[in-house]
Amino acid sequence: MFFGLLLVERPAALGTYCHQNGVKTPMTNQISLNLDINGKSRQVTVEARVTLLDALREHLELTGTKKGCDHGQCGACTVHVDGERVLSCLTLAAQVEGSTINTIEGLSAPGDALHPVQAAFLEHDAFQCGYCTPGQIMSAVACIREGHAGSDDEIREYMSGNLCRCGAYPHIVDAVREAAKELS
Amino acid sequence: MTIVETRAKRGDAADGALGGRLSRIDGPAKITGLADYALEHHPQGMVHAVLVESAIASGRVVSIDANAAERAPGVLLVMTPDNALPIKSATDWLNTPPSDAPYEPLARSITFAGQHIAAVIAETFEQATAAAALVKVYYEEAPAIAGLDDPKAGDGMPLDRMTIEWGDAHGALANAPIRIKHEYRTPREYNVPIEPHGLIAEWKGDRLTVWEPSQWIDGMARTYAEWFDIPFENVELRSPYIGGGFGSKALALEHGAIAINAARMLGRPVKLAVTRAQTFTAYGGRPATRQTIELGATRDGKLVSIVQTGANETSMKAVQVEPLGSVTSIMYATPNFSSRQNVVPVNTVKPGALRAPGENPSAFGIECAIDELAYEVGIDPVQIRLLNYAEEDPHARKPWSTRRLREAYAAGAEAFGWSARQPKPRSMREGNQLIGYGVAAGTYPVRRTPGEALVRILGDGSVEVASSGIDMGQGTYTILAQTAAEAIGVPVEKVRVKLGDSSLPRAPVAGGSQFANLITGAVHKAALAARDELIGLAINDPNSPFRDLQANTLIVENGVISSPRDTGAGVGIAEIMQRTGRERIEALRDTLPENLRNEKDHFRNFTTITTMLSPTDGDYSLHSWCVHFVEVRVDADFGTVRVARMVSALDSGRLYNPKLAESQWKGGIIMGIGQALLEEGIVDARNGRVMNNNLGDYLVPTNADIPDLKVISVGIPDTHASVLGGKAVGELGIVGVAPAIANAVYHATGVRVRDLPITMDKLT
Ligand code: FES
Ligand code: FES
Repeated sequence: MFFGLLLVERPAALGTYCHQNGVKTPMTNQISLNLDINGKSRQVTVEARVTLLDALREHLELTGTKKGCDHGQCGACTVHVDGERVLSCLTLAAQVEGSTINTIEGLSAPGDALHPVQAAFLEHDAFQCGYCTPGQIMSAVACIREGHAGSDDEIREYMSGNLCRCGAYPHIVDAVREAAKELS
Repeated sequence: MTIVETRAKRGDAADGALGGRLSRIDGPAKITGLADYALEHHPQGMVHAVLVESAIASGRVVSIDANAAERAPGVLLVMTPDNALPIKSATDWLNTPPSDAPYEPLARSITFAGQHIAAVIAETFEQATAAAALVKVYYEEAPAIAGLDDPKAGDGMPLDRMTIEWGDAHGALANAPIRIKHEYRTPREYNVPIEPHGLIAEWKGDRLTVWEPSQWIDGMARTYAEWFDIPFENVELRSPYIGGGFGSKALALEHGAIAINAARMLGRPVKLAVTRAQTFTAYGGRPATRQTIELGATRDGKLVSIVQTGANETSMKAVQVEPLGSVTSIMYATPNFSSRQNVVPVNTVKPGALRAPGENPSAFGIECAIDELAYEVGIDPVQIRLLNYAEEDPHARKPWSTRRLREAYAAGAEAFGWSARQPKPRSMREGNQLIGYGVAAGTYPVRRTPGEALVRILGDGSVEVASSGIDMGQGTYTILAQTAAEAIGVPVEKVRVKLGDSSLPRAPVAGGSQFANLITGAVHKAALAARDELIGLAINDPNSPFRDLQANTLIVENGVISSPRDTGAGVGIAEIMQRTGRERIEALRDTLPENLRNEKDHFRNFTTITTMLSPTDGDYSLHSWCVHFVEVRVDADFGTVRVARMVSALDSGRLYNPKLAESQWKGGIIMGIGQALLEEGIVDARNGRVMNNNLGDYLVPTNADIPDLKVISVGIPDTHASVLGGKAVGELGIVGVAPAIANAVYHATGVRVRDLPITMDKLT
């Protein structure tokens, strides 16, 4: 049934590696970064190719920002960079040195009152599993700030970069509408 | 283990009781980013595994050249079938004893594209990812069967156990004055939880800790214990939060074995995050299906026969059935019936369970077919459904426990404004938009497995509930707090719920929409036992202030104990505990029948599905029911379909928390809209690969695809179905959505699309 030998090679690696005298180096192209995250200055030493998302989740213990696709297709990794919503999986950590980064953890300090968008999400049950939720909330905060919460249709459109497989969309619209009112 | 406390509650005090609209008690953790999902743990020394997958769909791996990968920076191990430590086979969820052959999660013989063949473990995720691309694989390729439509696939194998027949279906069909016959098809569909699969595995001696999203902690822990030949008690599986599963996170999978084995081989904790692309082949979603339905009817639309033949694809190695006769055989009264099903092996990963496996495609067939019959005989689509209403279960010949389907048609039609519908297709229009109204019904069975729960009343008057059961967004944390609060008589804020850890009391699978009913039943029982003990203590303890009352019983309400005869203020639970010197009152209860109350059957109950009762075990036939009314708008030139609005009326019995149940219903409905209009796994016929293995090409609904959805509960408590009166919720909502939309599209355009998804190319 087999018909001959087929050679299928995986594509060559994209990166270049540092081999010193045949000794394997455990790390590659490390860089030290000073990042301004949630109002705090954070130092992190990572490989240059590390995304902001992985820097947050793997190196800075800020796991509230979620990885749903790692390809800019789901919105779960949405954070604010200089006040704008940005997909942290498509952003290198090294790109945002000198910028202001805000994540879900910085939206309301622990023990403090919830941000109006968070409170509205809770009240309207705008999530189920909760995995898309930090990204939804960061998008919603920006959506309102951008002035894109003027109507339900506008909210739907400007919240469509954030997928929710649990299907919380109608409740997300309710929550954004209410929070927009409160924040105006 | 995660403890979720009830707090940040807004609204009415009655919200805390069972049936109240309490906001999710796990909500604050989720909206602040503090909820710890599985892959967010960082055990000391953790390293990262990345999978290497087969590029061919059929054949064998001749050799793997790992030299370059092994030399790459940070790489600790390139695991292949040649160097992996052996793993034992495990008992499956049907309790089938394992074979003696070893279990090999890394394949040498390839039966689908994307099969795991090696894994690279490195110090960092980036290093492992880069090195995985350096692994060279040499294959011997064989011809592959790409899918159901591949001419090589054939008709498959008949599955006699799926045959359902009564009367003389073929004879009655031949003599029926009205006959219609059509084929309906659904494509390969994927679960797509937004949290991809993955795990962190850590060994300490022969004790294994796994952080992994799981719909079934005890089932998966058993598999891991058997694979790695350690006692069940030595596995601790932690899954406090699950980022969606929809059926896909119930069973241990190959990548789990690979990560745990790597951790064993390296002596370091290993994290393996399945990439989004790999989620299309690391496990299967709903298999592609096709079914032919023939309806025989009288001229006035009364069914005399239904003949159905169906098939679903399966993998080359295993039989996965998507039961296509499940709804066909119970939705309508017919004196003659025949349903038969084949499975067709193709080169795919083994299909799995995706929200309402069986009921979903089954309803697509019959609910489109009955609609076609309505037009054929010139009857309103709601009327024809009522005309053929099944007063009892036509298959099991048992009365329904409850079937509020008539009420659902009435309530839904009223709220939707069905009476405004013009009967003729393509007769409603606004500007360039063709408007269509469609209706379809759905159903999902009530499955039942005994449960177990621990309830503690603590010295400070607070209450703890504990179960290894899980909450993936269905609301388990919340409804269990409500259940315990109501049963004991404390404010819901006093209840803490611990879930998602195998060290807690056992729980069966959170699947088949059974979990809320069985776990509230167990918690209710344990909570009542704890309450009884509390009252007994208050009555009998020499130090209790109630001792002298000689009461038979006491009232516990709002955390305060009082005598029914006494109008005084009562005494707080904490004070009673303190005065009687008790630190805790603890009740562990299960809902197993006497004959299963032994160690072996107890274990079997929670680690297999062999004790799950079917919906027709007993005197009644137990099902949830729903009806969806849809308005679509179709662009007359382009054929683009938009769902403009939907009204669904659903009978899930009693709702433990309507706010959360409505969310689950809507979630199912939205997935149904995706199924109707967007979702389709596209397989490359040349090489059997899933071409759209990403979220930009496998389209799930976005916010802008979804209109406002109205859901109406028409259920009443059904105590035949469950102790507390609930029926199935989670999988009900999706059933019937796709046919309702297909029927609406036909009404709008006059074009009948019988193969999902309904895309513009099929309409123009
Ligand atoms: S993880 Fe960044 S968009 Fe999906
Ligand atoms: S809440 Fe689960 S994906 Fe949105």
